[in-house]
Amino acid sequence: MKRLDLIFSERELDDVLSALEEAEVPGYTVMKHATGRGPERIVTEDMEFTGFGSNAHVIIFCEQEIIDKIRENIKTVLNYYGGVAYVSEATPL
Amino acid sequence: MGQNLFIQNALSPPILFFFLGAIAYALKSDFEIPAPLPKLFSLYLLLAIGFRGGIELQKSGFGYPVLPTVIAAIFMSLLIPLICFLVLRLKFDVFNAAAISAAYGSISAVTFITAESFLESQNIPFDGFMVAALALMESPAIIIGLLLVKFGASKDRPIKRKMKWGSILHESMLNGSVYLLLGSLLIGFLTSAIDPSDIKKMEPFTGELFYGAECFFLLDMGIVAAQRLARLNKTGAFLVMFSIFMPIVNAILGSVVARFLNLDPGNALLFVVLCASASYLAVPTAMRMTVPEARPSYYISTTLGLTFPFNIIIGIPVYMGLVNTMIPSIG
Repeated sequence: MKRLDLIFSERELDDVLSALEEAEVPGYTVMKHATGRGPERIVTEDMEFTGFGSNAHVIIFCEQEIIDKIRENIKTVLNYYGGVAYVSEATPL
Repeated sequence: MGQNLFIQNALSPPILFFFLGAIAYALKSDFEIPAPLPKLFSLYLLLAIGFRGGIELQKSGFGYPVLPTVIAAIFMSLLIPLICFLVLRLKFDVFNAAAISAAYGSISAVTFITAESFLESQNIPFDGFMVAALALMESPAIIIGLLLVKFGASKDRPIKRKMKWGSILHESMLNGSVYLLLGSLLIGFLTSAIDPSDIKKMEPFTGELFYGAECFFLLDMGIVAAQRLARLNKTGAFLVMFSIFMPIVNAILGSVVARFLNLDPGNALLFVVLCASASYLAVPTAMRMTVPEARPSYYISTTLGLTFPFNIIIGIPVYMGLVNTMIPSIG
């Protein structure tokens, strides 16, 4: 089992979720209003009114084949708009 | 232009609330406004000025001075980014120069609203149709910024970053703030034409609450502007100078056009403010989507951290003086 963590601007959430749905992920968790600091700027909720708001953090637990299916689509979105994606091992309890 | 104009402007409730927010940040107060509220208030302000503008537009019709003013406003939002681009290319690559230029070619609705409050406090009349100019100045600057990237740096962009004009036009003309402003303008226009009694029903919401909502929004803007100001050290002296002097240059250009259009002083000030202000609503989000090579810290920190506070605190009284000089009948 793998765990995929995606952190990117909330504005691209629909694009990312579409890519996940296309790959038929078994499910995902979305945490909005994620703040912090990226290479370019501080990410805060204070800029919400500009549409330049905070990040979303999406977590997916799935098998490697699903990760392979979504890899290219997710990389395209993240390469264009910015954001990070990391895959790690996950062991069910 | 007297010193009084500065003092009266600086001591008006919206500006005092702006200072209150900025001071809270400077003094590290734990005061904060939950994130959805400023968004809600910004939407409210756009709805209210759009609706009221639509009513006024219905009253004034599309003859003189409405149509020439709107056309001139669109022309300025095409011209100003080109001038800004020429200046910014002295120090920046095409991507950053184009993105910053687009922000300065576009407008700030809150600066416009603050200028309206200033005119009201000075008992200087103005027309609601200027909102139409406000709404129509957002998109052209975005398109010019993107054309500058397309023609200035198309060889430097990977294939996957080639312009998708459909999505660009969609973003520049239908982004949330432009959509709401234009939609409210149309609703105000139709309401005024079809059943003016409905205007009265809307009045407590779009009229009486407006000034308080503006103050509340400026309180938040004070916090955000102070944060951005604190991060300006990364942008460099050139951009700091640009963000103060370019609005003044744009204001001078705007006042020449306002004189040419023979606008009344109130409308002339609003026209000048539109030319001098810089966008932090529609343009940054559009630029981030379409020109991700540009650094948001450049076009966000300068527009919000310097140009916006400069315009509302010092700029508006200075521009009023400029208008009084250019249109001497009231000077």
